[in-house]
Amino acid sequence: MELKKRSLTSGAAGRLLVTVIMLALAIVMIIPFLWMISTSLKTPAEVFKYPIEWIPSHPTWSHHHKVWTGPKSFGTYYLNSLKISVIGMLGATFLSAFAAYGFARIEFKGRNALFMIYLSMMMVPPQVLFVPKFIMFEWAGIYNTHLALILPGLFTIFGVFMLRQFFLSIPHEISESAFLDGAGHFRIFFRLVLPLAKPALATLAIIDFSWQWNDYENALVFLIDEKLYTVPLGLQNFILENTVDYNGMMAAASAGILPMIAVFVIGQRFIIQGLTNSAVKG
Amino acid sequence: MYNNWMRRQRLLGYVFIGPSMLGVLVFFLIPAVYSFGLMFTNYKFMSPNIDFVGADNIVRMLHDDLFYLSLRNTVVFLLAVPVSIALGFVVAVILNQKIYLKKLLRGLYFMPYITSGVAVAFVWMLLFQPKQGPINGFLRSVGIEHPPGWLSTTTSSMYAIDIIWVWFLLGYNMIIYLAALQEVSSELLEAAKIDGARPTQILRKIIWPLVSPTTFLLLITGLIMTIKTFGIIQATTQGGPGNSTTILSLYVYQNAFRYYEMGYAATVSWALFAIILLITLLQWLGQKRWVHY
Amino acid sequence: MRKKGWLAGIASLALVSGVMAGCGNNNNGGNASPAASGKSEALSSASAGSKASGGTVKLKMWGGVPPEAGPQTVMDNWNKAHPDIQIEYVRYVNDDEGNLKLDTAMLTGQDVDLYVNYTISQTAKRVESGFAADLSAFTDYNIDEKMGADAAGWKIDGKYYGVPTTKSSFFVALNKDALDAANLPVPKDWTWDEMREYAKKLKQGDGYGFIQNTEPYADPIDAVLSKEGYTKADGTSNLDHPLVRKWLESLNGMMQDDKTTPPLGEQLTSKMPVEQMFLSGEVPMLNIGAWLLRSSNNFTDYPRDFKIAFAPVPRLQDDAEGSMTRGGIGDYISINAKSKNQAAAWEFLKWYADGGMAPMAAGGRLPASKDADQDAALTSMLGDKADTYDKDSLNYVIFENKTPTFVRSLPQEVMDLRSQEYEKYFLGAQSLDETIAAMVSRHDDYLKKSK
Repeated sequence: MELKKRSLTSGAAGRLLVTVIMLALAIVMIIPFLWMISTSLKTPAEVFKYPIEWIPSHPTWSHHHKVWTGPKSFGTYYLNSLKISVIGMLGATFLSAFAAYGFARIEFKGRNALFMIYLSMMMVPPQVLFVPKFIMFEWAGIYNTHLALILPGLFTIFGVFMLRQFFLSIPHEISESAFLDGAGHFRIFFRLVLPLAKPALATLAIIDFSWQWNDYENALVFLIDEKLYTVPLGLQNFILENTVDYNGMMAAASAGILPMIAVFVIGQRFIIQGLTNSAVKG
Repeated sequence: MYNNWMRRQRLLGYVFIGPSMLGVLVFFLIPAVYSFGLMFTNYKFMSPNIDFVGADNIVRMLHDDLFYLSLRNTVVFLLAVPVSIALGFVVAVILNQKIYLKKLLRGLYFMPYITSGVAVAFVWMLLFQPKQGPINGFLRSVGIEHPPGWLSTTTSSMYAIDIIWVWFLLGYNMIIYLAALQEVSSELLEAAKIDGARPTQILRKIIWPLVSPTTFLLLITGLIMTIKTFGIIQATTQGGPGNSTTILSLYVYQNAFRYYEMGYAATVSWALFAIILLITLLQWLGQKRWVHY
Repeated sequence: MRKKGWLAGIASLALVSGVMAGCGNNNNGGNASPAASGKSEALSSASAGSKASGGTVKLKMWGGVPPEAGPQTVMDNWNKAHPDIQIEYVRYVNDDEGNLKLDTAMLTGQDVDLYVNYTISQTAKRVESGFAADLSAFTDYNIDEKMGADAAGWKIDGKYYGVPTTKSSFFVALNKDALDAANLPVPKDWTWDEMREYAKKLKQGDGYGFIQNTEPYADPIDAVLSKEGYTKADGTSNLDHPLVRKWLESLNGMMQDDKTTPPLGEQLTSKMPVEQMFLSGEVPMLNIGAWLLRSSNNFTDYPRDFKIAFAPVPRLQDDAEGSMTRGGIGDYISINAKSKNQAAAWEFLKWYADGGMAPMAAGGRLPASKDADQDAALTSMLGDKADTYDKDSLNYVIFENKTPTFVRSLPQEVMDLRSQEYEKYFLGAQSLDETIAAMVSRHDDYLKKSK
């Protein structure tokens, strides 16, 4: 949807103005990111200097080099994180869509009650789930394996809720006409609803990926072997005894952002695609 | 006929939610019930002894000043949610217009959500630094002689955290609104324009109601996420100075992971749960007034 | 429809409580139930791919020091000399979550044969849960004799559940050049008031005279109360001891009136890098411990052009008699009581304590054992930067100072409530009397609760 007439962005000048304003505000949004990059290129003594030096006077790549070489190279952590997050993202998005369709488009007994139970489970603070989860994982023999992260990662209540909201707003006439053409729920789900919901699915995938990629607490408690470590756990190596190696940590963390940016860019494509699909202009 | 069909297909509903339900049962419901049981014990993590203590933990909580203080701080923390939703909506609408660098801008506004938490905490502490920080530097330059101490005083710290949280959630709200805006049909907007509606009217009378299910989603999930989170506080103030930024979730965390008081942690977290449930129910009941599916 | 939902709920509840009861046991798997300990033995022997063929014993030791700061070299040295016992080092970050991780690993019967404790309250939890072996079973090493009188601070119920291995010295590091310029001698014994005067004289312009992390803030209180007791004879809190008041007042005075130490608010929000501020010459006095040596030897990251001298941490009371100071010995290494390789672990532990730990010196850790070559360790600690330290005063604070020492033993909850209250005071959010009253009443509540 676009507001064309009489809106600020109608003329090129207005458009430019809005762009400039939004760009200026965007700087505020990425200040920590800029700091990450700049710190990863600084020396330790420069980290705390006031006023903040945004462009290091003697940039050094040594911290980045350190991150990727030596016995504690981030390569393994990176691959582990990728494996866990990609499986989690794909699985969680699909399973959420599946369940959300059930909740949004089929009326069955106990639907609302079940949904409330769902929602309420989202409200339980994770810290207290930790002991029972840990008992369960030990019992199932998946403690200290990637499955301890992957399996729970397949389920996101938020995702079900979010997609349900989107599916609810798809007009019922669409289902009805599909039904008249002889389609069942599965066909409607795969052929109609999923394609229509592309922007929502992509959005969920982006958000879910960033959650999985950044998950620190679960990884910390459920993984022991350094071979299994994920990127957030690897960042802990930069916490020294009484100080923190901010330079190394930020070098590793800025590399750690790249996959999320990649997922965002790919996801954006689907969001835009959704736009061109549904907004056919006359 | 369609309705008849819908009725006959009811059982399929269970098939659709089945897989997800299984996961929720195993990874959420069972652990949750277990932790509910812990509430009535004095279980300390690692300890070989576990005794049932009845309602002792609940009584203790009701007499715990820190619990009430954390509750109050939590309420202040929650103020960030509606603010960031409003801002997220505005940004999403603007970034959905014809402007230059649209894709890049969307990415930039989403950056806080994916930036390393350590970096976020560090930078905000630098920005908020009362004496030398750029924020107060700016405030002094525009003539405010006594700018707030932000994170450094017990009275302002919670609001400073609010600002960080609005900033953090903004991109998240924006991206979900953007997805919702894609579903607003352009025919409707065209029609409105032909009828001579002004942009602000279109925004208020058409777009805002149309994205109301999303607003509802963001409000509920935002409140839940916010009430459960403590990472940003752990990374900046650890609940201080004093205990001015100790919110309930952090209090649960400290009891569970720092003091190993799992029984009491479970108790406080179920109180937290009750509060969220109440808020959610109120919103659920109230949604008919303003949410249009 | 509603009803059925509830029914299902109740059914699942019943199901779950069954699961709970079943799991409860193996979680509590401490010394209590034979079934449980049987299980954990089964686990550790099952995972004893660790006890590989050929009779090689494989050990795992968990510690909080980054491997490159010494432990890795220690392990390599041992492994070269002992092909039959191979040891691997696992690093955990010594914070709440890191300790949780170690405890979880032990609970699940992962291979943890040795681990380092850093506080008594953590050790006590592990002892209570049956994860620390009582070392009196091993009779060939007399801990008291080897480590001296300071070791006794680590006894739990009169027994050693670990070997304290490191001389952990706490001191005030001084910028000797600044002291000389101000004509101030390096003190061997001083009070908090005297230190305050030093700070005033050393202060330059807007700068500070004295600086410290927030971690050792309350050490002066602990020095008093370790001796006099945290509770009075009647069992109530002793946090209203006059010297507690004195400490609050004088530190506050240094922040607000003298402006010789950073106000708390500023310190908290600027992530103040105190070591760096001292080493760059910005602040002349730093309350810290032996780990400073690691940074102060690193001229690449922390270039420095002055000599460092050392003074004991000042005391609150006027009379030196009966005062205590933090430190003594630390790095309390326990053997996991569930480990299958306790004998091998013990061999390693003895070797480590009696000098195997020498490579740790570069990171500021000197061996505490009298059988270790402490001079050699000191030399390696100072490395090629020995000339940049005032040797006499360093020797004094590390070896010669005979002030009795205490080891922090206060439960975490009490440390936290105390710091929350004094933070409010230093920030001006509550008065001195309110602060003390709040500390006492919260401490009393805690005492009542944990009875």
